[in-house]
Amino acid sequence: MLGASCAYAFRFLADSYPGWAGDDIAASGCRWGMVIDINKCRPGCTACLDACREENNVSFHGDDRWDVHWIRKVNIKSKIDSNVPEKPMILLCNHCDKPPCAQVCPVQATYKRDDGIVIVDHHRCIGCRYCMIACPYNARQFNFKDNEDWPNQEHPKRSHGVAEACTLCAHRLDQGRPPACVEACREVGAGALYVGDLNDPDSDVSRFISTVAVKRLREDLGTEPKVYYIGL
Amino acid sequence: MDIKFERIEGTSNRYYGLLIVLAAMAAVGLFATWWVMQKGIWVTGMTMRVPWGLQIVMAVYYIGLSAGSLVISGLYGVFGKQEYKPFARIAVYIAMLFLIAGLLSILTDQGRMDRVFVEPFVYFNLQSMFSINPLLYIGHILICIVYLWALFKEKKKFTTVVATTAFGWAFCVHSGTGAIFGFGARMLYESPLLPASFVAAAMASGTALMILVIVGLFKATKRHVDDSLVVWLGRFLAVCLLVVVYFLVVENAYRAYVVELRQAAIYYLFGGFHSVLFWLGLMIIGCAIPMVILFNRKTGKSVRWIVLASALVVFGVLCERYVIVLPGLTHPPELFPSLEITASVVQEGIASYTVSLAEILQALGVMGAIGFLFAWGLRALPLLPTEARAQG
Repeated sequence: MLGASCAYAFRFLADSYPGWAGDDIAASGCRWGMVIDINKCRPGCTACLDACREENNVSFHGDDRWDVHWIRKVNIKSKIDSNVPEKPMILLCNHCDKPPCAQVCPVQATYKRDDGIVIVDHHRCIGCRYCMIACPYNARQFNFKDNEDWPNQEHPKRSHGVAEACTLCAHRLDQGRPPACVEACREVGAGALYVGDLNDPDSDVSRFISTVAVKRLREDLGTEPKVYYIGL
Repeated sequence: MDIKFERIEGTSNRYYGLLIVLAAMAAVGLFATWWVMQKGIWVTGMTMRVPWGLQIVMAVYYIGLSAGSLVISGLYGVFGKQEYKPFARIAVYIAMLFLIAGLLSILTDQGRMDRVFVEPFVYFNLQSMFSINPLLYIGHILICIVYLWALFKEKKKFTTVVATTAFGWAFCVHSGTGAIFGFGARMLYESPLLPASFVAAAMASGTALMILVIVGLFKATKRHVDDSLVVWLGRFLAVCLLVVVYFLVVENAYRAYVVELRQAAIYYLFGGFHSVLFWLGLMIIGCAIPMVILFNRKTGKSVRWIVLASALVVFGVLCERYVIVLPGLTHPPELFPSLEITASVVQEGIASYTVSLAEILQALGVMGAIGFLFAWGLRALPLLPTEARAQG
């Protein structure tokens, strides 16, 4: 009884934190999605990664075994046709409509908001890391160490021992601002990232999806990712 | 056949020395866990790519030993084999302790241990194997307590009921543990066969452990045990091993046959340290040699040889648990079936994992705690019979 009361009190405190994982102030009827045009993505550009790290206080220690990457930049090459040139692209949480990470979370700390963003309640996560096992995209990250840096004091930093992933900057979207990576790509990078409402046929992302050949990662798995790639 | 059970005296220097060693091991484990909690899980050597390590390997190993030990108690409790009544109490007690060991290993592996006692019960997720399993484990411990009580009170009918429940529950416990991996999205995890093969390996390792405990404990406390009882357990172990090998062959043949899994199968069978554990630790030391010993007419009837075979099986199944948990993590998920990643800001491709000192100390700590409870139980509870003789 005491334990349950404490847990509910904890939950109340977590929910009362503005813009944090517990709140569901998402616009009704909206379903956020992202389009990434990898034909535009520039080799060597890390504008989106840097902006994400600055905005979300993503843990960085200079050791790739424990560095947290909400976005990771990779170079890809065709296994079939060696004449196709190597391309840079970015990988991040796909905010699946059927997220395996949320399905396996034993405490429902990972959940999908009404607007389709998959998010982690860091005040509830027990750090079992089952979500990392379940995610077929290797997008789930874990805070193995405490983060010393706190560049964005308006956004909380996480203690060690909890899982996390890209939130699609839900706190910014709730304020009507684009995610930090999208803004940085537009201002500093090549404008390869688009975010918008998949339920709105006039949004950029919906127009791309209906007019351009787009692909999603491992569609065969049935997770219904909401990140679409042009040029993959 | 009237069997008398008794407590051990537990007044010798050897007994107290054992208690001190086990308590010291538990203390070291506690310290290692405190250190991990303070510093963060990175000190265990686990990484972003390999987020589960030795503690999870040990957890599934202990849980298997528990389910298997309970099967031995079921020989009397469920099937009414009177000659195995002398081992029933000790088997149930060990089953309970190993379940506690499994839970301790899982507990000490969590990033936020402080939340484990409340959150999983308040925010229960019926879709998660990680939610379902703790209920199975706690239920298993409670059933073991009731089972033990029924055995102490010599309530025969009730013992049969609770033993049958425990027997079925043990199958659920291990199937559920196997499902954590079998229902996962990793190439080397995803397999509906895994829960069943987990049960088979559990039966083998649990039986092997019970043979070691029975022979070792009866000898250490100068009690008589008929060789024929151990020989029959050895035969049972041999049959369990056949089932284990069958599942291993089917599972790996499937992976090698299906085109999309072939690369993963090659990695699993020939990809590094885990492959050595698979072939040498599991297949040769854990299965082939024990089967030769147990199926041989001469050695299969020798208690010494059966004990050796059992020790090899206990080691082999530990290797089996390792090769289930780790290669599935070090092998990367296929993100682009027709593309390859040539460069990345993080480690892509095959990941590496090495067991760390912190993990070894934590595992020793759990063994120490359980060993202490076992030694204490022998003195506090009437677990051991005065002797164990085959009827007729």
